[in-house]
Amino acid sequence: MTTDDLLFYHRVSQFLFLEARLLDEQKWEEWNELFTEDGVYWAPASWEQPDPFHHVSLIFEDKLLRDVRIARFKSPAAYSLQPFPRTSHMVSNIMIDNREGDLVTVSSQFQMTEFRRDKPIRYNGAYTHELSESDSGFKMRQKKAILVNCDGTHESSSVYF
Amino acid sequence: MATLIDNGPKAIDINNLAQDDKVHRSVYTDPAVFALEMERIWEKSWIYVGHESQVKEPGQYYSTTIGRQPVILTRHTDGEIYVLFNRCAHKGAKLVGDECGKAKELRCCYHGWRFHLDGSLLSIPLEQGYDGTDFNRDDPDANVQRVPRYDSYRGFVFASLSAEGPDLVDWLGGVASSIDNMADRAPDGELEITGGVMRYEHDSNWKFFIENLNDLMHPMVTHQSSSLTARVVAKKSLGDQPAPPAIEIISPFTESYSFFDEMGLHAFDHGHGYSGGKTSIHAKYSDVPDYNAAMEKAYGKEKVEEIFAVNRHNTVFYPSATIKGAIQTMRVVKPIAVDKTVIESWTFRLKGAPDELLKRSILYCNLINSSANLVGPDDQEAYRRQQTGLESEGADWVLMHRDHGRDEDLGNGHIYAKGSSDLAFRNQYRAWKRYMSEGAS
Ligand SMILES: [Fe+2]
Repeated sequence: MTTDDLLFYHRVSQFLFLEARLLDEQKWEEWNELFTEDGVYWAPASWEQPDPFHHVSLIFEDKLLRDVRIARFKSPAAYSLQPFPRTSHMVSNIMIDNREGDLVTVSSQFQMTEFRRDKPIRYNGAYTHELSESDSGFKMRQKKAILVNCDGTHESSSVYF
Repeated sequence: MATLIDNGPKAIDINNLAQDDKVHRSVYTDPAVFALEMERIWEKSWIYVGHESQVKEPGQYYSTTIGRQPVILTRHTDGEIYVLFNRCAHKGAKLVGDECGKAKELRCCYHGWRFHLDGSLLSIPLEQGYDGTDFNRDDPDANVQRVPRYDSYRGFVFASLSAEGPDLVDWLGGVASSIDNMADRAPDGELEITGGVMRYEHDSNWKFFIENLNDLMHPMVTHQSSSLTARVVAKKSLGDQPAPPAIEIISPFTESYSFFDEMGLHAFDHGHGYSGGKTSIHAKYSDVPDYNAAMEKAYGKEKVEEIFAVNRHNTVFYPSATIKGAIQTMRVVKPIAVDKTVIESWTFRLKGAPDELLKRSILYCNLINSSANLVGPDDQEAYRRQQTGLESEGADWVLMHRDHGRDEDLGNGHIYAKGSSDLAFRNQYRAWKRYMSEGAS
């Protein structure tokens, strides 16, 4: 492993931490800008789900739908989000699975605790970040968050894993 | 006959809990009422079990519940469908432990008794140990028991734990046409479950959910945060460009009162009903050209117009199943406790239709039925607040007076009212009261 590899790993890790942090700090517009123009957010509803089109997903959103969800976060009529849930995203086990030119695939494990009203709810799972790199840094072509209990029974949730 | 739930000093008279235009708060909050509902509604009435496409091939099984009781839907080597109690004939362990699969036989995990998929006993280890005892392998009790009645209507399998009661078709009555319309929307005339299932836990009574489906006075209030927001955001980023399917799906939830009024409500015996008819919030989805061509080829132009002229929103097969025929999705109600319900969400492929249609149904489920969807959490919030609000002793009654006495009788048990009416609730409680007081099936 070269120093360049280590630096690259460090930059990738920092990007993942930043992405998680923006969610926890509720800076969703900034978070949304981490996606490429056609980047998607995907939380599948089954473990080996080949695509988001022929099988249901907990969330599958392009930019327009993320804009809607983020605008809803701020809607005074979003009764289920009052008070707004607080989250803590923890990212770990980061590995670079593939790097070809500007395209990078990164896998990691996450834990997210959501505190809504009276109780904390814990979500665990794996992230796969499909990144593209440019002079201005990384952008997400896809962020996939698959819960270990993706095909289990879930309570309502509105925030991003 | 008045029925009393023995609840100490606060004994409940079932006949007075549900009145013509109001219902007592305890129907949502009292565990004793819930237990009686399990017995008299869920374990008596026809309950949706599964779809035949889930057990296409011999050996396939799907395990689920009827009320509190575990059951298995199977397809045996004779090609027939069976609904069995999921209980080994030996010591009662659940025979099938996973949700679905395919097997030559069902083998109990405990002592290895093996059964055919029609429930009949196949073998017992060291069977000679029973020689000369009162156990008789030819006694029907040695088999896994079939539920008393099951039947299917165009692939939708219902079962009843009561040996008596109306036939499935009679019981479905006027809402069978909603299943017909959904299946007729397939060029091949058949539906297939596909795309997985999502299970969404609600911390509220099952009736809040099933009442809400044809509560057309709530969307413009409860769904402001999602639907109105989607309209605003889409307008801002798309201008006058045509809206993508996701926006076509979310926007109509905040149509006007007059729009929902015009959708109308249709009520039938046994608590069944639907909203929409000639139009609904699904009426303005963009055409999929290849689909229309496939339909016309299969049915002819006139019949296709007839099929598409029916545009219903939710159809409720009280108490367990609900479909949206126009978008080919289904939600199944699983009551867990007086204040806990799981809603399963399923998607159907229209056989012979282009892939685009399935993709739209999947998109619809993601947007409207997922536990992390944009629209549903605000519904759930309303049920949750009802569940907790009704603990209040400040008032006893939940009101359903709107347009009472102004229903239109269309004959054959078909009742119509404008969309803003409380007809759907009154009709469900008419059935509820009959089930609960007579134990009718
Ligand atoms: Fe709603």
